[in-house]
Amino acid sequence: MRKIYIIFSLILFTFASCKKEEPIYDVNQIQSTSYNANKDKLKSPAQYISILYANLFQQALSANELVEITRCIESIGDKEVAHEIILSNFMNKSGVTLPSDSLMRSDLNGFIEETYKRFYVRDITEAEREFFLNFFESHPDLTVEMVYYAFSLSNEYQFY
Amino acid sequence: MKRRTFIKNSALSVAAISTPFILPSGRLFAATGQRMADHVVFVAFAGGVRQQESVLKRYLDDSQEYPSTGNIMYNMFNGSSPTDKIVYGTDGIVSGDTPIPQLLTQTLQSQGTLFNEVNASVVGHYPGVNTLLTGNYMYSQGLRNKSSSPTIFEYLRRHQGEKATKTWFIGNGIGNSIPLLDYSTHEDYGSQYGANFLAPIITFGSDGEDHLKNAKVYHPEDELAPMYKMKYFLDNVWYSQGKALPNIGNTEQEKAEIKQFVKDMFEKKDNGTIAHPPQASGGDGQTIGYACEVLKRFKPTFTVVYLSNVDGCHNNFTGYLQSLHAADHAVGHLWDYIQNQIPEMANNTTLILSPEHGRNLEPNGIKDANAFYGYDHSDANSRRIFNIMVGPGVDSNLTIGSEGNQVGDIVNITPTIAEILGFKDDVINSGLTASNTSLFDLI
Repeated sequence: MRKIYIIFSLILFTFASCKKEEPIYDVNQIQSTSYNANKDKLKSPAQYISILYANLFQQALSANELVEITRCIESIGDKEVAHEIILSNFMNKSGVTLPSDSLMRSDLNGFIEETYKRFYVRDITEAEREFFLNFFESHPDLTVEMVYYAFSLSNEYQFY
Repeated sequence: MKRRTFIKNSALSVAAISTPFILPSGRLFAATGQRMADHVVFVAFAGGVRQQESVLKRYLDDSQEYPSTGNIMYNMFNGSSPTDKIVYGTDGIVSGDTPIPQLLTQTLQSQGTLFNEVNASVVGHYPGVNTLLTGNYMYSQGLRNKSSSPTIFEYLRRHQGEKATKTWFIGNGIGNSIPLLDYSTHEDYGSQYGANFLAPIITFGSDGEDHLKNAKVYHPEDELAPMYKMKYFLDNVWYSQGKALPNIGNTEQEKAEIKQFVKDMFEKKDNGTIAHPPQASGGDGQTIGYACEVLKRFKPTFTVVYLSNVDGCHNNFTGYLQSLHAADHAVGHLWDYIQNQIPEMANNTTLILSPEHGRNLEPNGIKDANAFYGYDHSDANSRRIFNIMVGPGVDSNLTIGSEGNQVGDIVNITPTIAEILGFKDDVINSGLTASNTSLFDLI
């Protein structure tokens, strides 16, 4: 009986000890697929407007207002025009929650990274980062509102 | 000739023939025909109009078994109005007892050509308007889908190179899938050739007052320009990996003009200066008023105005009569406004009127406050409609067809509009319409 026990333990030990270690090359993991590839569904007017409102006001849009605004969007054929008018109405209301312009200027890199996450739910690419840092530098009067306006009307924001 | 030389010469010949010319106007191809007028306004006199109360002028005689006949659409048709049991007007001492005074000194029938009896093979609102705008019966698609056949807007813009703001589709609401008809899903046409849709009673109604009126005005150079630059960059990145967004192709300039138009309309509404008909209490009248404003501002080549208040006939025959009478007044105002308030369109515009279908011969059993029976739209009588055309090159005081002698079909409307605007051959060559015959071909 003792002999059997020793043989069983040896077999168990042999298999358990044969685990090969993963090589470590000291290289960071990167995302190799397209950043936008998974966004292939167009938001409905109601989806677009409720997400936009939550983004700008940090609270949910009431059901009544959602129906009213959706009807407004449907009443204008060119959706870009409709969205632009709705958005500029939002920007004219109290309660819009935007970071201050001075905060943006104090950390442009952090601001634009955060903006990509807020609107596109993804990380910024290096090409995009370079464009925006250069753009901020060449447009000293650029405000947070203007940046948010551009992101809100962009085509990527229409998809999920 | 050697085989290789033959193939080379043939290829060069085909290329030379098929290579388009960029015209000074920016158009890719020359127009294929002469225009009869530079503007067409098509009023889809929709909602389901019975022949008996409209073109046949039988008032209550052929619906409620009450012996009162007469014409309640006296801006459109010749004939005297009823003298007994007046309920089709506006409210005076009692509901509907005050007819709206005639606006036009000469009826549209006498100014143009009337097709008395025309066939409309579909009897639903969306399929009917779909057929009017595509020249095809909508047999193979759902009610909540965009048309699979190109719309007349797309033919016009693709073959005539018209700008987006030169084609408008003005609806009296967003129900019945009507906003879907601004462009089709056809692979050779589509959104880039679509019309600018507007449902003004919503855009400028209470919803619009709350959510569209107080738009922030951004400085065009200091604020809008950098915002658009950022947007273009973001869109370019997206296009490299993502899907395209349907776009009807308004240029930045055109978009700015539309935004300004919306802003101005709210101001005009506050000032009470919208070009409404003298009596514009209903949705159709309001819609016509804003349509007049669109025409005045943009001078479109082609405009469709969709009216549908008469659909109340299902359960309110009195309201239906009042809506017919009010819509006639509104159409009279539209024609009068074009001729007298828009010099660029006066004497250079053709107006076409057509219901999308009729209504039943027999009532449905629902009585209104006057004990009048309602009418649905499902039987053979619903397939009877009329058409009116008036404008340059259209015969005046001409009537085609009669009760029992049907001439024309609802699918003739699309070729007719194309013929007036000089691109009928393009529409025919597309091979996508049910008929190549215009109403002119039937005269």
